[in-house]
Amino acid sequence: MDPAVTAPGVSIAAGGGESSRRPGATSVAIAASGEVTALGLGRERLEQAVRANAGGLRDCPRLAGKGYQSTVGGYVPDEVWRSLRERDPAHADAPAFLLADAALREARADLPGGGCQAAPGSPNARTGRRDSSLFDSVPASRRGLVLSTTKAEITALESAIRRQPGSEVARRHLFPALLAADLGAAHDIAGPVQCVSIACVSGLLAIQQGALLIEEDKADLVFVIGVDLFSDFVLSGFTMLRSLDPGGCRPFDAGRNGLSLGEGAGAVALARRDALASPALLVTGWGSSNDANHLTGPSRDGSGLALAMHRALKKAGVAPRAIDFVHAHGTGTSYNDAMEGLALRSVFGAEVPPYCSSKGLFGHTLGAAGLLETIVCLIAARQQLLPGTPGLRSPDPAVPDSLLQKPRPARSLRRLLKINAGFGGVNAALALEWEGG
Amino acid sequence: MSQFAILAASFMGREGCGNDRTGLRPWPAEVSGPLERGELEALRWSTLFDSETSRFGRMDMLSRLGLMAVELLDAGFETLEAARRDEVGVCVETRSGCTATDDLFLQMPLASTFAYTLPSTVLGEICIRHRFRGPVLCLLPVSGQGGSVETALGWLNRGEAGACVCVSCDLMDKRFAASMLSPHDAPSGGWQSCAVLIGRRTGARRGQPWRPEPLPRLARLLVGLGGDARGAEQNSSSLW
Repeated sequence: MDPAVTAPGVSIAAGGGESSRRPGATSVAIAASGEVTALGLGRERLEQAVRANAGGLRDCPRLAGKGYQSTVGGYVPDEVWRSLRERDPAHADAPAFLLADAALREARADLPGGGCQAAPGSPNARTGRRDSSLFDSVPASRRGLVLSTTKAEITALESAIRRQPGSEVARRHLFPALLAADLGAAHDIAGPVQCVSIACVSGLLAIQQGALLIEEDKADLVFVIGVDLFSDFVLSGFTMLRSLDPGGCRPFDAGRNGLSLGEGAGAVALARRDALASPALLVTGWGSSNDANHLTGPSRDGSGLALAMHRALKKAGVAPRAIDFVHAHGTGTSYNDAMEGLALRSVFGAEVPPYCSSKGLFGHTLGAAGLLETIVCLIAARQQLLPGTPGLRSPDPAVPDSLLQKPRPARSLRRLLKINAGFGGVNAALALEWEGG
Repeated sequence: MSQFAILAASFMGREGCGNDRTGLRPWPAEVSGPLERGELEALRWSTLFDSETSRFGRMDMLSRLGLMAVELLDAGFETLEAARRDEVGVCVETRSGCTATDDLFLQMPLASTFAYTLPSTVLGEICIRHRFRGPVLCLLPVSGQGGSVETALGWLNRGEAGACVCVSCDLMDKRFAASMLSPHDAPSGGWQSCAVLIGRRTGARRGQPWRPEPLPRLARLLVGLGGDARGAEQNSSSLW
């Protein structure tokens, strides 16, 4: 193609058009996961909720009565907070660190061969799993970490404004890069450490960055962690935008009325495929885009999200018809869900694969959403189960009719696509491939 | 030799502003004093540009700085055809993030401010103005590792973008930093913004080979801050 000449002295040539998956490129796999959500600590609870299609949204007593549009959301249960604070009193007023650290511990405990000392109260702690051979076999300098967050320890700033006491470490973690650095130091991760903060697509792009660290041979084991809190800051902002559903979110429902916020942390450990013995979920492609349209609303035609999906499929070298399942963003707002329906039709035509939203399970966890929802994809692949959409009562007739209301066994779930969109017009997609089943 | 080059670079900070063609120019007299003191409200779009933007006045300071640095590139984006805009990636790196806007929102909560309480909002503003729909990323550098230029080169090498705009923008109030961080961690405070456009070598007059430097230092060198760039960065505009 000819270069497109712009200003005097500057010209922008066309990019490559071919599939960007290089033959012989390193295959990156999800080796383990860790999670703390409204459903509790550990993957077992999340698996049970996915199978039962049982949402974890409730009213949050600690934030109720402050005039917010809704305090129904996915907040981490008090008993989990108690156990995390008892275990690590030095971080008692640094909740983002506590959640991210717990998810990271869970992911380490879930690594093949066992794990580190798991977070208290988790199934891994009960089984006494200890440091794994995979973790130990990788030198600290070849372990990496990518943190995904939108607001990190925002409660530290809330305390400072109210002139309430707060620890130095909590204030330090208001700066996400310092939170990432401290998490790395706490877990003997001395390789590359990155911090991604790009609204609600942070999680998927953090996984992309983690996969690149392995693909480009900068690390052998990378922990990608997403975390965000159910805070006054975020609740007041979404209240001002009138985006919260007082009854709890109902993604893709005809009567949907807004989103439900959530808090939590999700972590995945990425490794080279050949470092794992059992069938794994591979990260095969990724793509992102911008709508170039609106700061807080999605594009009306879904073309930006469709671009991101096409880019992820191209990177994976996969045609749309080969995709078996799409895990959607599905916030429950009128505009987002309508936009996603259009984007899915644009990419898949009349044959939209089965798709679902997990926001009714643990709320919209912002910087953790991409991680936790990718973990739902991992659960789906391992169990060969198509997850449902908790909160959905009456599907919107305007969205593609392959929407999954309830979980059902999959005939063959091999290629999955995870998508998210966010403020600033950002979109992201992640292509995944399951080797087993 | 890499097939990619820096096609344009810009820088703005207390010392002045400019791009790789104009070199660094001092601020006009009416804003130089306020900008020296960090009073960024004095900086209007019309201070530097004749073009129109209806959105500038509603933006937070971080977005204003980032958008102006991209405009300062003077890369002629307005003549770019729509298909090419889909191939332009944008990668932002910011050490301060939007902490100044977060602080403002908690002091005076407004919906119009909430939209800017993400470090990546500046990226959305850049994409809206120039209709860029390529790959995007916003990095908060850890331990001095920037990463936006490396990210852009990765997109280009893998054919995921045809050109990339990398932006580094920071804004940190010294008193705010001192109130939140220990003396060991607290940055000195200040502001700066810079951008580079990276694309395929085409024999263009402005092409500069890529150098393995952090973006702020790279931009300073290319707009002519020259040999003292390293010292100047540490002395006057280093935020961390």
